[in-house]
Amino acid sequence: MIYLKKIIMTTKNIIVYLLIACCLPFAACKKVLDQAPRATATKDAVFSNESGLALYTNSFYTIIPDAATIMRGDAMSDYAARTDVPDFLRPNVYNATQSSGWNWAPLRNINYFLVNNNNPAISDQVRNNYNGIARFFRAYWYFQMVQRFGDVPWYSTPLAVDDSTLLYKPRDPRTLVMDSVLADLNYACANITVTDDQSRSMITKWVAYAMKSRICLFEGTFRKYHTELNLPNATDWLNEAADAAQQVMASGKFSLNQVGGNGKSYRQLFISTAPVTSEDILIDVTDPNQAVFSDANWYWTSATYGNRLSLDRTFVNTYLNTDGTPFTNIAGHDTMTFPVETQNRDLRLQQTIRTPGYTRINGGSVVPAPPAFSYTYTGYMPIKYSLDDQQYDQGTVSTNSVPVIRYAEVLLNYAEAKAELGTITDQDWANTIGALRARGGITSGLTTLPTVVDPYLQANYFPDISDPVILEIRRDRSIELVFEGFRFYDLVRWKRGQLLTQEWNGIYVPAINTLMDLDKNGTPDVSFVESTPSNPVKGVAYVNVAPTIGGKVNPQQLKHGTYGELTWLNNSPRVWDDKMYFYPIPESALLKNPKLGQNPGWQ
Amino acid sequence: MHLKDHLSINIKNKRMRKNLPRWFYFSATLLRKHAIHALSTFALIFVCTLSAKAQSHLINGIVTDEGGRPLQGVSVQMKGSNVGTLTDGSGKFSLSVPRNATLTVSFVGYQTHEVEVDGKNNITVQLKVNAAGLNEVVVVGYGTQKKANLTGAVSQVSSEVLENRSLPNLTQGLEGVIPNLNINMQDGKPIQSPSYNVRGTTSIGQGGNALVLIDGVEGNPSLINPNDVASVTVLKDASSAAIYGARGAFGVVLITTKSAKKGKTAVSYSSSYSLKKPTAIPDQVDNGYQYAKMFSEAYSAGSNYTQLPQNINKTQKFSQAYLDAFKEHDANPSLPKIDTNANGEYVYYANTDWYKLLYKDHNFATDQNISVSGSSDKASFYVTGRFYNQEGIFRYNSDNYRMYNFRAKGSIDVTKWLEINNNTSYSSVMYHNPLNVGEGGAIWRNMSDEAHTSAPLLNPDGTLTYSAAYTVGDFYYGKNGIDTSTNLIRNTTSFVARFLNNKLRINGDFTFQGTNNNRTQKRVPVPYSTKPGIINYVGTNTNDLQEQYIKTSYLAANLYGEYETTFGSDHHFKALLGYNFEQSVFKKIQEQRNGLIFPDAQDISLALGQSVTTNGGWEQWDILGGFFRFNYDFKSRYLLEVNGRYDGSSKFPTNQQFGFFPSVSAGWRLSKENFWHVSPKAISDVKIRASYGSLGNGNINSYSFLEQLGISQSGRVLNGQRPQVTSAPGVIPNGLTWETSTTKDLGADISFLENRLAFTGDLYNRKTTNMFTVGPTLPDVFGAAVPKGNYADLKTTGWEMTLSWQDQFNAGSKPFNYGITVNAAHYEAIITKYNNPNKNLSDYYVGEKLGEIWGYKTEGFWTADDVDQAAAMNKNISNNSSVWLPGDIKYADLNKDGVISHGNQTVNNPGDMVIIGNETPRYTYGFGVNADWNNFFFAAFFQGRGRTDWYPSPEADAFWGQYNRPYNAALKSQLGHIWTEDNPNAYWPRYRGYVALSGDRELSVPQTKYLQNAAYLRLKNIQFGYNLPQKLISKIKMTNASVYISGENLWVTSPMFKITKHNFDPESIDGSDRVLTNGTNGDAQNYPMLKSVTLGLNITF
Repeated sequence: MIYLKKIIMTTKNIIVYLLIACCLPFAACKKVLDQAPRATATKDAVFSNESGLALYTNSFYTIIPDAATIMRGDAMSDYAARTDVPDFLRPNVYNATQSSGWNWAPLRNINYFLVNNNNPAISDQVRNNYNGIARFFRAYWYFQMVQRFGDVPWYSTPLAVDDSTLLYKPRDPRTLVMDSVLADLNYACANITVTDDQSRSMITKWVAYAMKSRICLFEGTFRKYHTELNLPNATDWLNEAADAAQQVMASGKFSLNQVGGNGKSYRQLFISTAPVTSEDILIDVTDPNQAVFSDANWYWTSATYGNRLSLDRTFVNTYLNTDGTPFTNIAGHDTMTFPVETQNRDLRLQQTIRTPGYTRINGGSVVPAPPAFSYTYTGYMPIKYSLDDQQYDQGTVSTNSVPVIRYAEVLLNYAEAKAELGTITDQDWANTIGALRARGGITSGLTTLPTVVDPYLQANYFPDISDPVILEIRRDRSIELVFEGFRFYDLVRWKRGQLLTQEWNGIYVPAINTLMDLDKNGTPDVSFVESTPSNPVKGVAYVNVAPTIGGKVNPQQLKHGTYGELTWLNNSPRVWDDKMYFYPIPESALLKNPKLGQNPGWQ
Repeated sequence: MHLKDHLSINIKNKRMRKNLPRWFYFSATLLRKHAIHALSTFALIFVCTLSAKAQSHLINGIVTDEGGRPLQGVSVQMKGSNVGTLTDGSGKFSLSVPRNATLTVSFVGYQTHEVEVDGKNNITVQLKVNAAGLNEVVVVGYGTQKKANLTGAVSQVSSEVLENRSLPNLTQGLEGVIPNLNINMQDGKPIQSPSYNVRGTTSIGQGGNALVLIDGVEGNPSLINPNDVASVTVLKDASSAAIYGARGAFGVVLITTKSAKKGKTAVSYSSSYSLKKPTAIPDQVDNGYQYAKMFSEAYSAGSNYTQLPQNINKTQKFSQAYLDAFKEHDANPSLPKIDTNANGEYVYYANTDWYKLLYKDHNFATDQNISVSGSSDKASFYVTGRFYNQEGIFRYNSDNYRMYNFRAKGSIDVTKWLEINNNTSYSSVMYHNPLNVGEGGAIWRNMSDEAHTSAPLLNPDGTLTYSAAYTVGDFYYGKNGIDTSTNLIRNTTSFVARFLNNKLRINGDFTFQGTNNNRTQKRVPVPYSTKPGIINYVGTNTNDLQEQYIKTSYLAANLYGEYETTFGSDHHFKALLGYNFEQSVFKKIQEQRNGLIFPDAQDISLALGQSVTTNGGWEQWDILGGFFRFNYDFKSRYLLEVNGRYDGSSKFPTNQQFGFFPSVSAGWRLSKENFWHVSPKAISDVKIRASYGSLGNGNINSYSFLEQLGISQSGRVLNGQRPQVTSAPGVIPNGLTWETSTTKDLGADISFLENRLAFTGDLYNRKTTNMFTVGPTLPDVFGAAVPKGNYADLKTTGWEMTLSWQDQFNAGSKPFNYGITVNAAHYEAIITKYNNPNKNLSDYYVGEKLGEIWGYKTEGFWTADDVDQAAAMNKNISNNSSVWLPGDIKYADLNKDGVISHGNQTVNNPGDMVIIGNETPRYTYGFGVNADWNNFFFAAFFQGRGRTDWYPSPEADAFWGQYNRPYNAALKSQLGHIWTEDNPNAYWPRYRGYVALSGDRELSVPQTKYLQNAAYLRLKNIQFGYNLPQKLISKIKMTNASVYISGENLWVTSPMFKITKHNFDPESIDGSDRVLTNGTNGDAQNYPMLKSVTLGLNITF
């Protein structure tokens, strides 16, 4: 027993020592449990100096559409045929369930910046410059939301989890939201200090003014033409648009690119790597040195990759003759073949699509490049963004930077705003549309306002417009900015959504089973047939235009069976309804907050 | 021969028996002759007998088993001397000993028996079979425990499960050997070492795997020498894992390395040579014309037969004229396979089997292992080295794998009571992973895209074709790849101080571990030619070199004391108290630069481009905890164990850093009760166990409670560079506390028929509560991920069991020993709380059984009679053409609304969707047989799972073939099973491309007909060997020599093979290659599982 007691005592002592030994480290090491991250920054570190503010504002740039998005911007438009009908235009297909675009993370990112950029250690001017950049992006982001959905809720602070009133509030009226957008734009124009950025990739004061002209023109014309909505102040918005454009024009920083001459200077804007600093105001940069590329060639030449957009003939017909007269004034223009109709036209046509004389480079040698029917459905095959060297055709390897805002748009914005206001002058005309047409090699009608309505343009595009100036400005906007992603929302603001149901037509084919030389190089390129001949000619693409193939309707046909304009996919109906001027609020968003309410017609 | 050598024999035998864990306990009996321990023991005994001559009294004896059958090779030794012998084939021995000597009779698998000579001249000894491993010692947290006294759910296997196998790393050898240690192989890469899961779904919040400890300290099992492993123990329930606190919430795996053998210095060398090849390769249509025809058919069907393809994807031109010409070339072999067209471009009429070009017919691996061990009475040492080399399976730019291991252990008794140990290990693993610069994804996805059967690898002038440059040609070019090397140095210094006659033991250890993970990735453009003399390049935008250095420094220290005593003779107490501190510091640096000046450049100095990316990385965590364990048993009849740990972790906010995690378990050995009168011949031992405990889950990311502004590089070029950016931090949770896993376990250990048959089984229920998951849904205007919180609960229930049988009989007057072991496990997990009030199917919901697959019921195909209803009915499904035709798929309109739809994708309105299956692996099992006879030994081990439903992802090309993309390879397994008007009851629908592409496509929507049962049964290992007779090898001073042939993964079967044939392995059906992709490039687009045949040799001097 004594022995046992001894053991217990010893044990007790040992346990006590052990306990002390164990507890000591707890006290000593308590501190090691307080660890802070080192590979990330704290809020204080970012907002305490100018480089931190620049670091943060760099994150806003993804709000600007990138090259790939801009190039695809007209994938749903009236003037281009494509592989299939977009879901939005298919009867009874698009609805609130598949609606998208309701992502509010970019706004939170901006508002978090604006709320926290208040460190007095940084001068007001510096902070205001970055706040200006942030508010520029907020304005642009909200503008895109309003374009798409109409009314949206306005927020100027990042929301907390328990901000129930704000989180669950109904949408704010468009007028409130757009007034706030305008306030942001004005703040940006006034406070952004940078005026010259040779890389054309940063937000400057002039970028802000140019964007303001775009946004205000949209809002002004939208309010003017959508009379059913009874929106006020259209004129104010148009004045703001004209003023903002005027500021850019008066800055003297920009001019239309003329390098390369009239036949080349236009397309150069879309295929060069370096910014065309004369005309580019903001670009999305590709830079092989930085291993940043675009998929331009892949998208615009691959038989399998993209939407395979091609202009339709109705639109190609609007390109003027070089003498300034409408092409459709020529008798027999409607049965002209491709090699003929593409002559003596606005030089922007040959810089937009493949026309006779266009060649490409394959492994260093020049090769003929007629429209490729593995790509085009109409024969009017775009080259605006695709590089001539075939080495770029596959994969994301194209090296062209793409304009986001360029000076030509500012001129068009100015002209249109002034015309809509009814205050446009001959001088305005000469400075804007006249200058653009001159670059397109057009020789007359450059200095005075047009006075005659082009009946073709009016009948096919804008039957409600009788003002020849507005008609001609719209003609040039369509041509100048084709495939730059403006078209759908131009139709929206002009209230011409109906155009999206136009038929998709292509080149005129005089006769079936006939070899055609499209690029006038002496060798036949294509033949439209009802079945592939047993002895095909090498190098000829045989396009089957039989009414049916294997008992099914052939989407590729000739208008009159054995001759006429090529047509594509007119067997698949497209519809327009005025509800489509707004996208539906996504169903999932409505389920979470029913107070948002659905846009009319989408319930 | 010295006395100490003699003594060591006993120790060794005892030690060996202790080390033989349960799972393979009986097998050990049978496999004894090729177990290194056993061999050296016998060898020593053998040597000993030679010197045992000078004694006076001759005693003859016979040793038998309980059935009276003679036992050969039984050790008979005089206690306390070096005198001893072995029994012969008829169980007989004779020995000269003093008249009053005591003989120790011992034999592996039997209880050691002592007998007094007492002047007798003849004795008979009957040995009893060892009682189901009840004396076996099992490794538990911070100590060991006799199996008989275990109250928690613990499984252990010994090194036998790893022997004579060709294993690139340890993890690959543990699959299937322990019930509910779930190892999902994913693919067959030699570096593949998946995480260890114990008992199924852990947490859908923070997640969490089992904690893996090597010799008591956290370690990486993929870097250890498999030959160093003595045992692997899995602590499954809260009670046994509680001592590890917050990291043991989802089980603990303890890997224990071998130690020095006592006795004279022994040198063991083993060497093996393996031939390996894939278990499955997609069997593709290898006739180019047939491929092109099927491509054309699938493509044109995808556009409702309105369009003919113009290209075979990106790399080959196509037209009807080409197809016609191909037909001609196919029919007339004298026509050239490569031609040129009017533009001078190559035209191909090839029949290329790209997989033949990709893989070697077989590849080799070798494993060289040496160990030296020895000891004096005060010190011992154990040194091992291993070199494993596996050349890759790729024919070009092969993925070679090498692993070096070195370990040195030493032990010294400084004083009578103090022992100091040191354990140093070094591991180095090198692997070359080739890559493609063409597009994202690994080679298999790229081959689906561009390895067209109709195109060859090379042009006549030796340049690569365009198709090749995207695929195998990149490997042929041989310059692109990722080289990884991992180096680990680890040292543990420890001491044991024994006081009070070994009743009190104080242990301490300190470990340092430094791991370097280095990675170099090179991508240069691959030249190809589509026209003689003209070279183009694939991958011009990826001409760069990337280097990454990661260093993880880890420290661990433990100090613990254990006191053990018995009061009276019935009350046995054991108490453990300890302290643990660990720290890990992770530091990463990565740089990348483009513009290599020539394609063979190896160093970043030769990259001259302007695209420079640099990244850092840092993480530090610290853990400290105090723990205790208290054991009590009364007469080994009533057992009680209480565990607890007070744990602190730097991963939690200051006010939540500490948590206390207790557990309790108890056991009752019914068979020890006085009222137990069942004959041991029927039921030999019965124990019932129960445990309950609650553990916090510390597996959370560091710093997740802090607002962090991450810095990364912009993808945009701004002002001439790609600048760094930062943005709004994620919204952090208001409060963050520990996830908790609470486990209830009920188990039984029962042995029958004199311990020949043993059963261990457990039922468990694990509730993971307060899981860190998404908060309540907020309107999207919130603009950020809703902060996570402790919002969800999960219940996992399951069972596991092991059943083993061992016996022996005489065959040809030689004992034939054999054993059979079966293990099985099953679990399912159900969400019991979750923030998803609408029960959207896009997220977890309350009542969801994890793994469930929602889909449509396939009714069959549309026929000419009813196809006019198809367009209206299938309006939410796409077949890539707006027209539905006979042979397209018809789904069951379960809600009878005339349209197939997914409703609003909620549980309450799923439209026509129902739960069609469950992808959780269910009823996992393993079973093995082993036997030995007359120096021959044999073992086979099977493993598999009873059920796993698998709906192949859209890009799973080895399943879908051209239904995915028409330019994919066509599959032979589909031929004859595709719908046509003449074959209306085929398995596959109308042949259309792009219908298994994505989203709502005809075959992409999960549905019953194409759901696969990926259950499988695999012959994981089979081996056959021979121990060379002692007579022979002793002449060359060898104590053991064995040769064997062993096969790994030689056979596998699965119910889905009926459809898929052997296009891929059932274990390799998960998402694509994880080294080069994020797993979303198509199921089964993976490195193939390998099978192997190994010839090996083990010798010991």
